[in-house]
Amino acid sequence: MMSSVVLESVGHVYARGDVRALDRVSLRLDAGERVALVGQNGSGKTTLVRHLNGLLRPSSGRVLLDGVDIAGRTVAQLAHRVGLVFQDPQSQIFAASVRAEVEFGPRNLGMRGAALQAAVDEALSAVGLAGEWRTNPYDLGGARQKLLTLASVLAMRTPVLVLDEPTTGQDLRGVAIVRRAIDDAHTAGRTVLAISHDMDFVASTFDRVLVMREGRLILDGTPAEVFAEPAWPQLRSTFLEPPTVALVGARLALGSTPTDARLMSALQAPGGGPP
Amino acid sequence: MLSLQRVTYHYAGSRAPSLHDVSLELGAGEVLGVVGASEAGKTTLCLVASGLAPRTVGGTLRGQLLLDGTDTVALPMHRLAERIGIVFANPANGLSGVAGTVYEEIAFGPMNLGLPREEVIARTEESLSTLGISGLAERDPSRLSGGQQQLVAIGGLLAMRPAHLVLDEPTAQLDPVGTRLVADALARLAAGGASILLTEHKTDLLAAICTRVIALEGGRVVLAGAAAEVLADPRLADLGVAAPASVRLLSAVREAALPASVLDRVQAALR
Amino acid sequence: MLAVALGGLAGPAVLVGIAVLLPALAGRILGRLLRTSLLLTMPIAISVLVVNLFFYPAGQQILFSVGPIRGTAEGLAFALETLARIGAISGAITLFYLTTTPSELVLDLERRGVSPRIAFVALASVQTVPAMVDRAATITAAQRARGLDTEGSLWRRLRGVLPLAGPVLLGSIAQVEERTMALESRAFTRPGRRTLLWHPPDSTLQRVARWVLVALLPGLFVARASGWL
Repeated sequence: MMSSVVLESVGHVYARGDVRALDRVSLRLDAGERVALVGQNGSGKTTLVRHLNGLLRPSSGRVLLDGVDIAGRTVAQLAHRVGLVFQDPQSQIFAASVRAEVEFGPRNLGMRGAALQAAVDEALSAVGLAGEWRTNPYDLGGARQKLLTLASVLAMRTPVLVLDEPTTGQDLRGVAIVRRAIDDAHTAGRTVLAISHDMDFVASTFDRVLVMREGRLILDGTPAEVFAEPAWPQLRSTFLEPPTVALVGARLALGSTPTDARLMSALQAPGGGPP
Repeated sequence: MLSLQRVTYHYAGSRAPSLHDVSLELGAGEVLGVVGASEAGKTTLCLVASGLAPRTVGGTLRGQLLLDGTDTVALPMHRLAERIGIVFANPANGLSGVAGTVYEEIAFGPMNLGLPREEVIARTEESLSTLGISGLAERDPSRLSGGQQQLVAIGGLLAMRPAHLVLDEPTAQLDPVGTRLVADALARLAAGGASILLTEHKTDLLAAICTRVIALEGGRVVLAGAAAEVLADPRLADLGVAAPASVRLLSAVREAALPASVLDRVQAALR
Repeated sequence: MLAVALGGLAGPAVLVGIAVLLPALAGRILGRLLRTSLLLTMPIAISVLVVNLFFYPAGQQILFSVGPIRGTAEGLAFALETLARIGAISGAITLFYLTTTPSELVLDLERRGVSPRIAFVALASVQTVPAMVDRAATITAAQRARGLDTEGSLWRRLRGVLPLAGPVLLGSIAQVEERTMALESRAFTRPGRRTLLWHPPDSTLQRVARWVLVALLPGLFVARASGWL
């Protein structure tokens, strides 16, 4: 399923002030892209993602899904196309069992019977909660509650998947689960946009990184481009640091090494680095 | 000296123990890091170490929590609060909810202790300046950033003049700026001789400030020792703990059997 | 109370002038006072005016008629008297509300002996409201993002009650647990009084004035009842 998300010069001003939460942001996300959205708190990341499913409407500019302006569609309608996982699981957990919680989203979208159960089963397995389907969500620890909310949106099988800080508070296994879910979505041709402030995770999981500051996109490129030394001043202007491995690679004059793999291959390249 | 001796703890209504035969010691000037997978017992350990479990949280505790050698079993929570302070991951829940300004928020603890007015004021001012947040004194705590709120929470505890500080994933919900704020504050406190018990997933942070580290799995202590040692232990990955970046990179270089000179250069670059 | 005690129109009007309007002028909140006060009393003021103007039983002197309904002078006079009293009461209440913050009020009560726990509950309830409102908005957004229809038919919206109210309540309970622990960690459960930092400014003049007013009250009631005022 081809899907693309386009923002055309989107601006947003909150009713209560005249602060430009978004300032003429234009970008295009294609089907299957894995995109990370980074920037300090207040840079407009949350505001931006809320425009994708209609929770917020642009004060200026347009948002297009598959080439069609979303202005006329309700949030409930857009939920068929864009799934958004919120940062705090306690903002959405309400059901008495893990299974019921995951069923909520797809049910709202009209899924029933075998198709519904299949979607729920798949989502639960993806996050490692298949065995806990009867458990009360409040009996899960915070980290697994977060995985539960991820499952509840995965089950909606939307072409576009938006995640807000999916790895905070996760241990190694939890991060691996999130990464795999993102990869699976990518393989299935779905578009993934994730807000994150874990630069290691960003560099090793995503094809593209968008950096925001004060409502504007200041960098847009691959991890290698965005974490390369020339981009550091801009990263630092929004209080971000490149991953440690990128710092090491730069100090050893090996070019841009946003991931361990890149650093290793640079070190192992014939004549790699200064003597 | 805060010490847990062979502590086994069950939450109310739970058949399996959340902590099993855990012993640890935290002396003055020590910063003890605790790592482990989610639900390995890190939070439970913090609750037990601060006395909240079983006093406020319920459940059954076997074994002992000792303060300077004395069993604390008979001490009520408000007495323990003067000796051990605890900060949780959620910055908003650490606020009292009744203070209009950061100043009042920090003064809350000393006020509750019934200390003389001058003493309350002195302690509040001291907390503010130790953490470098005197500029926030008149601000509304509910309007601060997460990192600032955590500093206020820490400040509120410092004003109680506790002998030990317990922090449960204090930077989990913070952005890099907030994480830096809290990490720097903790480093300063540690340098000043504070006794700190700190759980975190961010092992880079622990590598920077901890003197010792223990690793939990299924409620038991499976690794314990000097911070540098434990954080370099290859078993961490199996325990669900991400090694600090430096450890990760150096071990990748070693595994690739690259010449020693390469290893040296990477090590130098990591400093 | 004084306004009610004083008969006639002049009494309450003067009282309002002294006790309410002058302090409001001094505190520079006269504008807000008038706006708020008028807004609050508008419904009752209108009904008092209409009822008494047209339906005052002892009304003799007719001012004008609207169809079969007649407006009387006595009715008007009575209405204005009542309005003046209402004005004094609402003005006084509004003045109090505009000049005192909840925390000042509660802390002062605590200073005079109200239990710190009660004081805490009163203060915390007020301060929790904005945070709860924000949370409720976030929860609504999260559930809408999962397809919950909040813009459809009434039946559809009723089905949204549990997914919306659930997290609010459950989350609040979870929050309360953690907040309780944070409070305990700050010795909140220590028995006995706690030190209070803030003292409301209370000059001797204010204290004397308060006592004088209280002392006057019985005297006024007696005077009014005996028809003297």
